Amino acid sequence: MVPAYYLVIKMRESIIMKIHYGTALGAVALVAVHILMRLSQKYSDSLQYQNVLANYHFLPYALMLEVILVLLSVHGFNGLRVILLELKQGIVYERVINYGSIVAMIVLVAYGSRTILMAGMGIS
Amino acid sequence: MTERLSNREGIKGMVNPTRYGLERVAYWMQRLSGLGLLAYLIGHIYETSTILNGKGAWNNMLSLTQTPGGHIVLVLVIGMCVFHTGNGIRLMISEGGKGVGKPGQPEYPYRASSLNSKQRLCIWVSIALAALAMMYGAGVLLGD
Repeated sequence: MVPAYYLVIKMRESIIMKIHYGTALGAVALVAVHILMRLSQKYSDSLQYQNVLANYHFLPYALMLEVILVLLSVHGFNGLRVILLELKQGIVYERVINYGSIVAMIVLVAYGSRTILMAGMGIS
Repeated sequence: MTERLSNREGIKGMVNPTRYGLERVAYWMQRLSGLGLLAYLIGHIYETSTILNGKGAWNNMLSLTQTPGGHIVLVLVIGMCVFHTGNGIRLMISEGGKGVGKPGQPEYPYRASSLNSKQRLCIWVSIALAALAMMYGAGVLLGD
């Protein structure tokens, strides 16, 4: 029986690049909505404390922010992984970069999700 | 062996835009803009997390970021974002085999069919769109 994490670590590069492109297209569409929300009112007004908090309290928008967070973290850290693997190769180096980028992704998603969840539930 | 080692330029060779023309410029701009956007994403997630510390902490953060300097950084982020998107879509389409031309006999002056005018046009369009978006962003942010 192959453990689930093994499938993630041993994923073929062609599959990883499809995920990279998929996350890019998804992020472009959702980030456009995120920016348009800022421009739906005067930019400085949209950053007022109450307005920002209201965004987190609006469940569909909060869910969209969570999806953007996941898409951009996966895309960003996979991009960084690709750049670092282009610079240098080696069994240990590649393993460190592969695991490191997955850990960084998880940490960033966890930290961002904490903000979305706590602000959405009014815990601050 | 010595000659082989002298050909290993490392990062210097990767970022050198002079040897391969516009395509190499697009290559390292895609990477630099990607790194810039990742740095911004991390900063943005940290910045927005201050809302959990109350109105005072949020306004303190705004007083740091909503300044002319902060707005210039945002304008640069807009430019990087638009270029990275436009050039990224070009790369996706190219990887799908569209617009890269047909392989032919290697004849002097050995021009690669993949580095053609369509590709160059897409790169210039990405740069132009980024410039336009930066101008619009500067209008919104600095004119606010």
